[in-house]
Amino acid sequence: MAEKQVSLVLENVSKSFAKVENDEVTHALNAIDLSLRSGEFVSLVGPSGCGKSTILRLVAGLIMPTTGKITVDGKEITEPSPERGMMFQKSTLFPWLTVEKNIAFSLKMQGKLKGNEEKVEHMLKVIGLESFRNDYPGQLSGGMAQRVALMRSLINEPDILLLDEPLGALDAFTRMNMQDEILKIWQEKGQLALMVTHDVDEAVYMGTRVIVMDSNPGRVVGDIKIAEGYPRDRSSNTFVEYRNEILNRLHFGGRN
Amino acid sequence: MSAKISPNTKNSIDKDQLGHLTRQQLKELEEKKKTGWQKALDWMIMVLPFACGIVAMLEYWMVPNGGSNDNPYTYVGFLVVLIGAYLIYFIYSVVKKAGGDKAVLDMLRYRAPLLSALFLLLAGYDYLTLKTGILTQPFVPCMNAIINIAWIDRAYLITCTLHTLRLLFLGYFIGVFLGLVTGITCGYSERVRYWVNPVIKFLGPIPTSTWIPIVMVVATSLFKGAVFIIALGSWFAVTVASMTGISNVDKDFFDAARTLGASSRQLVFRVAIPHAMPSILQGCTQAMSSACVAIMIAEMMGVKAGLGWYMNWAKSWTAYDKMFAALFVICFIFTMVTKALDLIKRRVLRWQNGVVK
Repeated sequence: MAEKQVSLVLENVSKSFAKVENDEVTHALNAIDLSLRSGEFVSLVGPSGCGKSTILRLVAGLIMPTTGKITVDGKEITEPSPERGMMFQKSTLFPWLTVEKNIAFSLKMQGKLKGNEEKVEHMLKVIGLESFRNDYPGQLSGGMAQRVALMRSLINEPDILLLDEPLGALDAFTRMNMQDEILKIWQEKGQLALMVTHDVDEAVYMGTRVIVMDSNPGRVVGDIKIAEGYPRDRSSNTFVEYRNEILNRLHFGGRN
Repeated sequence: MSAKISPNTKNSIDKDQLGHLTRQQLKELEEKKKTGWQKALDWMIMVLPFACGIVAMLEYWMVPNGGSNDNPYTYVGFLVVLIGAYLIYFIYSVVKKAGGDKAVLDMLRYRAPLLSALFLLLAGYDYLTLKTGILTQPFVPCMNAIINIAWIDRAYLITCTLHTLRLLFLGYFIGVFLGLVTGITCGYSERVRYWVNPVIKFLGPIPTSTWIPIVMVVATSLFKGAVFIIALGSWFAVTVASMTGISNVDKDFFDAARTLGASSRQLVFRVAIPHAMPSILQGCTQAMSSACVAIMIAEMMGVKAGLGWYMNWAKSWTAYDKMFAALFVICFIFTMVTKALDLIKRRVLRWQNGVVK
């Protein structure tokens, strides 16, 4: 279990964006209430435009809610913090830094690199990329780059791990491998993980809880606990039932 | 594991060894083997510069001179130095290859045709000037005369070179520094851009040389005036390039850096500037070529020192050999400066290697 137990609460959170072309406003999120805590792996799933990525960006502190508030242990989020590590769909590794320096970036920014070199070493070992330490991101494959990005956000040992479609751009095999790798890391530390995905299978395979969202305006239409242990069998009956339930909530269910 | 892997041991390389291949070894493994004929051709091309050097030498000694030629051995010495330098390069490459490093010899093979052409060019020039006078003497002096006069007048040439370099670097670095400051703040801050953009739009299209007459009237010293002109040109190039570079930074990088705990100061220095580096260095290269143009114009029009002034002065005394000597010195130092800039650029941007061709 994590060193620190945290609870993340979204109270009546709405977020609207001003449109660029005209005076209208897009309602990305409408009155979201959620309560999440350490040890949970929460999958946010839904069609595009349902505001699932917006939730992540709000929790990260990259944007501020229009109404309502988001708190971690009662403290309102006002700015990004390394305590809430985020991994993006697009590789945002800094192309001018080597693999090693990318991983060490956060420590360096906070002036904590001195004396913590072995942490960087450990992260490289976890993903098995020690021999790539001096390579630049441009020389890595998509899967390797996402592994490095994951380690880069994990080096601060964040209490909350935000994953914005982290595996969206990977091929099917790399994707399945990385699902297990992420799960393993999460199981060791037991942080609160919040992952956005548009893949229902992935949501069920990884989550302890799946939050189903729909669009226009973005809202929660289902909050499903997955009571299965890990590793999960993608073809088991319960797995298929969970999947069908989620698809039904999104009005895609045709069977049963 | 530093064993040399030759193409014919291809099948005997085990999996373990493959993981420890160097880039060079990999290239050799994957390359098609050259046929004997191709190899012979390569060697012929690599000795070609010697042959062309000898041709240049023979042309100089055998063809009768069209006019007088003082101190004829200087040019011979010059050719001998060039051939000798190639010989040392050649031996070094062959020794390196014997030691397993093929890259140096490949580079020599790549350069050999150009170096051969250089010797032929020298021979051709000598034929057109000294031998036949097709290019009329003394207006286009032969190479022997140019080298002679450069040696005789070396003290003065060196003084002038130093003066030019001082002016060039002073103006250039002031311009680049100010350009970086304005460009980066403009790229980052909307408010600064509001005020600076009109200045750039208004001053930008004016060629730097336009300022010279005005500066000559207004400036308290011509040296300071020239520094101002060179700095202005460099400032403009660097400002525009770094402004574009900074404002084109992908927003996702800022988001990522912020979630990793970067302060807004670090966002500028650790994210925006490194990301804009290719563009900034492009601007620095442009600034250098604009500075080189500006300094020559400034020295020819007003400043009473430097190589540009030397050339003009030599012309007014009909000392055409001196004029050409100065021209070669200018050529040489500008090439060196550009080369140095290029090396810096490659070093700083090495993360682009293999990503951007």
